[in-house]
Order: sequence, then C-alpha cells, then structure tokens
Amino acid sequence: MEPIASHENWRNCFAEVAPGLLLFARQWVQSAADAEDIVQDAFVKFWRRNHDIANRGLLYSAVRSLALDFIRRDARRARRETAALAEVEPAIEPHFETEDDTQSALAAAVESLPRDQREVLVLKIWNDLTFSEIAGALEISQNTAASRYRYALNNLKKTLQPQ
Amino acid sequence: MNDLSELEKEVKKLRPAQPSPMLFERVGEALENCKASAAADAKWKRWRFIETPDNWWSLGFGVAAAAVLILFAAVTMEHRHERQQIVAQSSPSPETRPVPLETKRSTSPSRFVPAGGTNVVYNARDEGLRFGDGSEPPVRRVRYRTQQTWRWRNPETGASLRVSYPSEEVVLIPVSGQ
Repeated sequence: MEPIASHENWRNCFAEVAPGLLLFARQWVQSAADAEDIVQDAFVKFWRRNHDIANRGLLYSAVRSLALDFIRRDARRARRETAALAEVEPAIEPHFETEDDTQSALAAAVESLPRDQREVLVLKIWNDLTFSEIAGALEISQNTAASRYRYALNNLKKTLQPQ
Repeated sequence: MNDLSELEKEVKKLRPAQPSPMLFERVGEALENCKASAAADAKWKRWRFIETPDNWWSLGFGVAAAAVLILFAAVTMEHRHERQQIVAQSSPSPETRPVPLETKRSTSPSRFVPAGGTNVVYNARDEGLRFGDGSEPPVRRVRYRTQQTWRWRNPETGASLRVSYPSEEVVLIPVSGQ
C-alpha cells in the first residue's frame, strides 16, 4: 500500500478516514467538537511522521491515546464523560446519519453497546480494520478482538429482536 | 451465523456522521504550518524547552554565548582574510607564491552573514552643561539609552540569528556661546 505521506493531496486521504476516525474518537468523548480536535491532532502527527498507511493501526492507536489523555486532562470533563459512558446515555450529537426508523433503532442499539464491544465494532465496520490491526490499536489479543466483535453483533441482535 | 452476517450488512449501511468542513480547513492549516517536517521534531523539543520558564535563563545565556562565538569567529576570519591579502601582495614572485589560502567565501551551510542592525533610542536625558578646566568650551552631556539589535542570516539554509541587547551612550555636545 502507498505510504500515507506520499499523497500530495492529503484531503483525499483524510476524507476517506475522517468519518471513521471521528466515530472512533467519540467512543470516549461525547462532544463532536472535542472528537474533531483529537482526530486533527492524531492525523497531523501521523502525517508529519510519514507513517505508512498500511500501518494505520497506529493512527487509531494515536486517536485512542489522545482521547484518553484528553479525558485525564480535565477532571471535571472526565467525570462527566465517565458518567455518560457508564450510564450509556444517548449522545447529544448523533454518531450516525440515519435515513429511517430502522436505522435510528440500529444506531441507538450500537450506541448502547458496552464500550469495549462498541470500539471493536467501530474499528471493524466503519474503519475496515482487520482483527490483527484492531488488536494492535487497542492493545488486546486478536482473539479478544474477534470475540468482542461477535459479542457486539449478538448483543445488537438481541436488542433489535422484537419482544 | 447467517443471521449475524445479515445483521453485519445492515450495520454496515449505517453511515457515521460526517466531520465538519472546518475540520478539513484546520487540518490543512496545521499541515501547512508544519511543512518543514524535517525540523518538526527539533522544533517541538525547542518549544517544549522554551515553554519551561526555568529554562529562559539558560536560553538567554546560550544565545548570548552563541552570539559572542559568532562575532569572534567573524572577527578572526576578517583578520585572517586581511593578512592573507597582505601576504599575497608582498610575495608576487612565482617561487614564493603564497599557499592558496581560503580567500573565497566558505560555502559551508553554517556560515552566517550580517543581515542588518537597528539602534532604537528609547530614552535621551539631558544631564546639563559640563565645564572643563577653563581652556575648553563647556559641553552639554546627553545620555542615550538604546536597544541595539543585530541580525545575521545564513543564505544557504535561510536560518537567521538575532541578538538584541540594551546599551547606554553618553554624548558630549560642544556649546558655542552667541
């Protein structure tokens, strides 16, 4: 795969990865603006250091690391975010663009997943990472990544099944 | 498992919220700002250094020492250059042809050349008339406080160096009686 930094037009590259990156960042921060700040920092660092796009697990790892730093930096914000994550409240700004009620229900179901399952799902579905790359980005084993993904789909299925 | 594949397809149809157009602008701006990526790490370290207030003194001493060294080097080179020209002029015969010394300008990328200087007077105080021993006319003593700034530039790399320091100057102006 072509190294990311060799693209003259970074916009194409960024446009390709930005929505998925943003969604990934929002697993930790609820505000879209904060998530954008994190994605910007991570992408600029990644680009500047001429990392290979084939090594994109690094990019997601950087987003995750910056997001965790962001939460730690501000204690009040951390409490708010932790509370929000623990209570699994719906986000103020939607994570997805939905077209109908079915999609809205699906989006709500995704957002209500436990965070460890949701982050694997986000990386797999909307960022096209392999389990190996997910394992690298989240610092877990490949088997753990695969099983979390399976649990996430099972949980979604349970949530969406008519009572 | 088949159910899960179907569900997976449905989930994939969900589109994540798009980033704001501002994000693209901000990333573009940030990338533009750090275009000189070769020096990016060094720059980052330097900024981290500068951000630490305790290091300001060390930085000041460092810059002052560097400036003194550059001035010393410039003066030494100038003297050497002049001496070489004298040697070359006083030894015209081929037998005693001077050793080809470095009379050309160095192309070393570390060479800085003077790029200008300013002398800003921020305070002038008239200290009144001063009378000598009677044989000399009286003079008016004026004390100037100035900020002198000298700049050097490396034409090869585009790097520049600036040294700025306060100075004080006393000027004696002869007073002529009408």
